[in-house]
Amino acid sequence: MPIQTAYSTKPLPDAVTELRSKLDPGAQVVLFFASAGYDAAALSRQMQDAFPDACVAGCSAAGEIAQCRMLTGSVAAMSLDSETVEDASAVVVENLRSGIDLRAAFEKFENHFQSAASTWDVAKYVGLVLIDGLSGAEERFLEKLGDTTDVFFVGGSAGDDLRFEATEVCAGGKASTDSAVLVLLRLRRDFTIVKTQSFRQFGKSLTATAVDEARRTVIEFDYRPAIEAYAEALGVLQDEAVSHFSRHPLGLMVEGEPFVRSPQKAHGGSIVFYCQIKQGMELEVLEATDIVADTRRAIEKEKAGPHPIAGLIDFQCILRTLQLRNENRCDQYGAIFAGIPNVGFSTYGEAYLGHLNQTSTMLLFR
Amino acid sequence: MPGQTKRLIDSILERRSKGNPTLFFATKTKLILKGVNPDKYTAESPDDPAMIAKVRAIAAELGVPV
Repeated sequence: MPIQTAYSTKPLPDAVTELRSKLDPGAQVVLFFASAGYDAAALSRQMQDAFPDACVAGCSAAGEIAQCRMLTGSVAAMSLDSETVEDASAVVVENLRSGIDLRAAFEKFENHFQSAASTWDVAKYVGLVLIDGLSGAEERFLEKLGDTTDVFFVGGSAGDDLRFEATEVCAGGKASTDSAVLVLLRLRRDFTIVKTQSFRQFGKSLTATAVDEARRTVIEFDYRPAIEAYAEALGVLQDEAVSHFSRHPLGLMVEGEPFVRSPQKAHGGSIVFYCQIKQGMELEVLEATDIVADTRRAIEKEKAGPHPIAGLIDFQCILRTLQLRNENRCDQYGAIFAGIPNVGFSTYGEAYLGHLNQTSTMLLFR
Repeated sequence: MPGQTKRLIDSILERRSKGNPTLFFATKTKLILKGVNPDKYTAESPDDPAMIAKVRAIAAELGVPV
């Protein structure tokens, strides 16, 4: 059975029964993303029981995506068949706030795959990463992950329907907070990672000259109070600057591609971001473009590739989702993925080489 | 002798990317996210001991002997 997707809005245990009836019972991997309205521990246990032979993992979300629909109050899931995944393993890394140590996780992977991590072919192996979205540990975790392996990991930070109380990651029938789940896949199919964001350069840059990294705060840009320098770059009054945050985040540029850092709030003269900015980083001021048009362009480009898209997982920033909801364009966004088995969720941060904001990171199976 | 920072960065990029352009981009991105932009350094860049120490520390994190 090829890659299957499904969603349910029923309560437990009926939701799991419904998902099981629609997904591949012989799946190698089952991924699920659930509203915070579900008991994550019960859901994780029931999903593992429903697919006892599969590698089962998931997380709580701030909105779910499945079958071209942007959902709320649901469980969205995808099953990956043995034609897609040759082998898979999931590990939980706990206690993120007290330090990140991935040695045990990678030892488990090496034991499972019976090979040294250094030998993993980055064209065959790909990883998924789901992190507690309220841990504040994403940057440290993803940096350590990138130090440890060249295998590409894509994913996002778990959400909780904008309650900001507790987000949970799930694997092996359990759920946990202050944790991350890593799922390592050895694929039979090719894959592509897409990172898309809807911004262009505004023509101004700012250099962080005083920061509080741990608090994701920039105190000064260009040796001036951050909010003052940001407002001047935009040509707006300082009092108005906050209202421009979502349309004008900052981008850490890598060969013309922004890795978006989004301002969250002003705090005195400082700006608190949704991810860390390091001292000395030079950032471009960005200007919003059209999410639907840009995402459609990114997917059409992938559709034009030599192999059809057999499945897609979308880790979509909650800020993008909120904008689409406000503009009543969720249906337009969902329609971009017509004909592609797709699943995903609205995240509290996206993961690809590092921690990102206002971005969609996607894993496409070919 | 100027250019030591660039030589260290090039060594990291070469060893981690192993000639794979995708890994080269990934490694370059990792360096930029760690606060070191390879494009900012040339063979003529003056040697700043603090920056050299920072790049050496990053090399150690990435498991690259320099």
